[in-house]
Formats: sequence, C-alpha cells, structure tokens
Amino acid sequence: MGVVVTHSNEEVVQHSRLVFLAVKPHLVSTVLNGISKHVTPQHILVSIAAGVTLETLEQLLPSRSCVIRMMPNLPCMLQEGAVLLACGAAASQEVGSMLKNLLSPCGLVEVGPEAWIDAHTGLSGSGVAFAFVFAEALADGAVKMGMPSSLAHRIAAQTILGAGLLLRDTGKHPAQLRAEVCTPGGTTAYGLHALEKGGIRAATVDAVEAATERARELGRR
Amino acid sequence: MSVGFIGAGQLAHALVKGFAASGVIATHKIIASSPETNLPTATALRKMGVNVTTSNKETVSRSDVLFLAVKPHIIPFVLDEIGPDIEERHLIVSCAAGVTISSIEKKLLQYHTAPKVIRCMSNTPVMVREGATVYAAGTHTELEDTKLLEQLMRSVGYCMEVEEDLIDAVTGLSGSGPAYAFTAVDALADGGVKMGLPRRLAVRLGAQALLGAAKMLLDSEHHPGQLKDNVASPGGATIHALHVMESGGFRSLLINAVEASCIRTRELQHLADQEKISPAAIKKTTLKKVLQQPGVTGVTGVGVPTGISLFNSHNSKQKGNSGQD
Repeated sequence: MGVVVTHSNEEVVQHSRLVFLAVKPHLVSTVLNGISKHVTPQHILVSIAAGVTLETLEQLLPSRSCVIRMMPNLPCMLQEGAVLLACGAAASQEVGSMLKNLLSPCGLVEVGPEAWIDAHTGLSGSGVAFAFVFAEALADGAVKMGMPSSLAHRIAAQTILGAGLLLRDTGKHPAQLRAEVCTPGGTTAYGLHALEKGGIRAATVDAVEAATERARELGRR
Repeated sequence: MSVGFIGAGQLAHALVKGFAASGVIATHKIIASSPETNLPTATALRKMGVNVTTSNKETVSRSDVLFLAVKPHIIPFVLDEIGPDIEERHLIVSCAAGVTISSIEKKLLQYHTAPKVIRCMSNTPVMVREGATVYAAGTHTELEDTKLLEQLMRSVGYCMEVEEDLIDAVTGLSGSGPAYAFTAVDALADGGVKMGLPRRLAVRLGAQALLGAAKMLLDSEHHPGQLKDNVASPGGATIHALHVMESGGFRSLLINAVEASCIRTRELQHLADQEKISPAAIKKTTLKKVLQQPGVTGVTGVGVPTGISLFNSHNSKQKGNSGQD
C-alpha cells in the first residue's frame, strides 16, 4: 500500500506529527517509555488501546503532550465503522475536530468525554458481535422453516444491512420504523410478540451493560 | 329526543354520568330499567334525576335511542322480551361485548322489518368524559342515526366508526384498558409506599403520572418510544427502571393481556351464538320479576329445566324457522 515500514518506533515518532498507538494494551507502557523522549508538544498521539486511560497515557509521556483516545470498531475496515474520540487535557478542540475530519472515511466519527468510551465499547465495539449473533439466529429461524442455510445467511445479512441503512438514513426513531413495518394482525406483529416474550430488549440492555462493565474493569487494571 | 337504557348497572351509570356532565341530554329525558331496584348504580341514577323502572317495556316505549346495557348472555333474553315493542323510530345501541349486529338483527327481524341496530364498544371513563368508543352500524341504520350516536358518544370522549370485526380487539385494548391502568397505578403506588411515600399521595402521583403521560402522547406527533427516550436521561433513574421493566417482560405482558381479552370476547360471542342460556345464568328471582311485568308474555321455555331456548318463542309469528342459519 506504499507505507514505509520500519522496526524503529523512534523513527516513526521523529518522522510523523500524528502518531497512532496500535499495540496491545499490555505493551503500551513499554512502547511509551521507549519513545517518550522524542515526543514534543507538536505531536498528536492517538491511542487505540482498549482500557488504557488518558491519565495513564499522559503519565507515561512528557507533560502537556497532546493525547487522544480512540475507540473504533470492526466495520471501520469497510468504512462503515463507529468511532468515538476522547481528548486529553492538552488536546485542543481544533485537534479533536481535525482528527474527526481525518478519520471520517472510517464511517461515523464522534467526539465525546472519556466517560463514554466504555459504553461505546459495549455498544458498538461488542455490538457488532451481537449483530452477528442475531444474524445467525435469524438464519437458523429460516432454516427451521425450510430455507437452505447459505441462502438464509445471505438474506439475514442483507436484512440487517437494509434495516441499518433505514435506521441511519431516515432519521426516524426505531420505534417509528418498527410501527411502519407492523401491519395490523400481520406476520411482523406476531413475530415481534414472540421476541418480546423472549425478553430480547432486556437481554440486549444486559449485554451492553455487561460489555461496558467489563471495559471499565479492564480500564482500572 | 329521549334515551333509554335496558340495564342500570356500571355501564348505564357511567354513560349517564358522562351525558349529564356534558349536557348533551337532560337526565329527566333518560329512562333506565332493571329488575333489581336496589342496585347501587340504580340508586345513583335515580339521584341524578333519571327515571328508573323495573319495566323494560316502559323504557322502550319512552325512548328513541335505546342502549342495551346488560351482560352479553342476557341480550337474547332481553331482545325477545322487547322485540314486539320496537318501533320505526327506535335506534338500538348494543354495548354488549362480543354480541354481533347480525345476532341482534336476526332476533329483531322476527318482529320488525328494518330494525336499526348499532353495535358499540365503550369504556367506563365515559363517566368523566374521557371515554373511548367505537361503533359499527347495522344493515338498516341511516347516516342520521350514526350521527346521532356520534353526537352522544363524542360528548363523553373519543368516538370512531370501525369495521365490526375490529370491535373484539377494541374490547381487549380500550374496553379492558382502564382496568390495566388501575392495576398499574395500584402497583406503582405500592412501589411508592415501599420507598416511603404515604399511600394517598402515592396513588395520586401514580394516577397523575399516567394521566399526564397520556395527555402528552395524545397531543404529540411523536411515537411513544421517542417520548420515552425524552424522559430517560443517560445513566439516570428512569433508564434503570425501564431496564427492570423490560427484564420482567412488561411489553409482552401487555400484549398478552390485550390478546387474552380479545380472545375471551370472541369466546363469549361464540357462546352467545349458541343461543342457549342455562337456567343457572339468570337469577330465579330476577326471572320471576321480569315475568311479573305488565305486558310481558312469557318467553316460551323459560324456567324449563332443560334450559332457555330463545329461538323457540313466538313461533306463531314466524313464517319459517328463523332460528337456523
């Protein structure tokens, strides 16, 4: 892809103004200790390390270093990601906006307080996996009702994709969109009733909560 | 224009109270009949200035709009009794859950060529002029008849014409609905009391919360889901409570309730269609009182141990056996 690849972290820092820390969380302190003396106030450091707080990052770097925490999710690779940015003490609003624009090809990019990052992890980081589970279950349902598996999976994926687009692009409340699909006495009303009986809403809230709590826990370590 | 009620129970009382409050009709132009003169509702009606009698026939003769406000299984019994007295001017409005227009028309056609029948489903908050009423018009009903009913029912709340086959669902939703709400407020109040509020205050606040929410919703163009979101601040008390409700299956519980009420209504209709009332369904003393009324020619088969078969009455007046489909 034309990127210069080196073994030297220092070389990356010396040749770049914007530096992404894309190592696993347990390696962050080692890496930062190694590059710290090369970091200037002009550098912008963006950490994608899950659970590593701005406070931790700032402590490992020279004072008043510009640090931003970023939480992306898997579909970023298809330019349909959901990214939340949280700015450190020395990262100005301009830097935040600049980064937001820069990252916009990833998909949806928003800036928020660090306190929201864990919830974002639970919602859209793990949320992608929740959607995969739902897709698999939809397909299983269709297979139970007589459809071949591979076709069921393709249709399930397209159904969720289509629904996602409607949610994003109509700007309507999901409850409104649901009402619009729900013909009186029709199939959807019956299906939704079964979902409600199965407690899908509570289970989903529980899931986001559990993932968020775990993110918080990991952040405390 | 005079209004009559066959039956002086909860529904008659609620409707009269609403009509009186709205001023759509003066209470002295209302007459209600019931074999039980000691019913608390009958007493209340009398206090409001309504003529309360024990004679259904008197009610029929002194009214233009005739509400059938008795329990569904009593309807065929009443229709047989008053059938011969129905005139051209009468507009029969049945409020009985599950009783179809065709079953009522079938009975009345034995006595009259073009009985005007409307089936409606209302609810008790008509009493405070916040009722929810739907109606379906029968075969021989004219536009002016439905307009008259709308005028009456709109004075006590919402009123809309619907297809007859939706009325059972309406019963499940807004017919039974106030009972769901009473239960909800009672339980909310229990929650308040548990958390330290005095009972009276808790009930008041619970009721006001539901009232306010309903008003907001009716005045808003937004989906209730959106209004819910507007109340639930991030990480706040409400969203925690909503989660608890979802975990308890709140939504599916309500769906189940509406469904159960609707299904039961259809069952009642089916039972009524079978046109046999067991003697156990009517009090012996009530039956005696009705038979004692002047002008009531005994309904054949009444009191016979095998049951009251209402299509066997007045055979001499029928050309054919109209009891069969």
